[in-house]
Amino acid sequence: MGRAAYKVEGGKMIKVQLTQKDGKIEKIKIMGDFFLHPEDLIEEIETILIGSPLEEGSISSSIKAFIEKRGATLLGATPRDLAKCIMMASG
Amino acid sequence: MVEEWRLLDTGARDAYYNMALDEAISIARSKNLIPNTIRFFRWKPSAISIGYFQSLEDEVDIAACKTKGVDHVRRITGGGAVYHDYNGELTYSIIVNEGHRLVPRDILKSYDVLCSGLTRGLSLLGVPAEFKPINDIVAGGRKISGNAQTRRIGVVHQHGTILREVDPALMFSLLKVPSEKIRDKLIKSVEERVTSINNHLGREVSFEEMKKAFKEGFEKAFKIKLVERRITEYENGLTVELREKYASKEWNFKR
Repeated sequence: MGRAAYKVEGGKMIKVQLTQKDGKIEKIKIMGDFFLHPEDLIEEIETILIGSPLEEGSISSSIKAFIEKRGATLLGATPRDLAKCIMMASG
Repeated sequence: MVEEWRLLDTGARDAYYNMALDEAISIARSKNLIPNTIRFFRWKPSAISIGYFQSLEDEVDIAACKTKGVDHVRRITGGGAVYHDYNGELTYSIIVNEGHRLVPRDILKSYDVLCSGLTRGLSLLGVPAEFKPINDIVAGGRKISGNAQTRRIGVVHQHGTILREVDPALMFSLLKVPSEKIRDKLIKSVEERVTSINNHLGREVSFEEMKKAFKEGFEKAFKIKLVERRITEYENGLTVELREKYASKEWNFKR
């Protein structure tokens, strides 16, 4: 299992725990002291990322598209920051 | 007529009760059973709360908490781990319907508006302070209050800390640090970045004095009148139920 922590400049801390298989996300947990409204969407974001190729640009776009579709607000971190931390955890 | 809100002073209770009552008030508000509410409370025993997205095992030294008799609880709100000291902190909650004039749709802006009651209260105590995005209030550039908000079921629920006194060394003895080597550095950095009302004024301010100032601060900043009331039977019943959730391993270790 890979782990990473990434402090966003002028923002919050992101922590990721990740298992991968064949270059894709198999299991993922995104943690930290950021804000996401509504909060329980974090589990849905983790679910949509399962099976995604470990590629920063596409992970970032999926998260961004999901947040926009659901009218959610992410504070203290951007989808790109989350994607960056996910890539760090993938080693 | 000045708009009336309810003021609750629920004294010092344990972490699970405190978080359960906040949720119960929010639910009661969404059902229109109660007016908009401001609540003051404290933590007995002292406790660590972690943000909704944090991992308890990652953030909290559970063994150290046990030794020192400090509880730990996951909040319904995002943000970071906070040590709520029985003697060091007054905590507040604001529960207001989402369509209210004080609640901009933009969450960041609404932190600013809702925190204005706190900055006004601080200024009444003689502590000039200002809101610092995302969710802090600073006095002389140092953090004196941290705040967190959630919006569910048409209700905005914001709660936060007001530091009366602060002990970074004690705080870090309860939190996990990346390595022992940097513990002293972290303590020193918090000592430089965080202040408290007592610190700032160089005297002991009582909780009663704080509550009086923040009541007036909220009234002036929000243009409301706060009327002291008790919690309803409905809220009490719901709190007993919800307390089970906040005290459960399933909730606290869920991430």
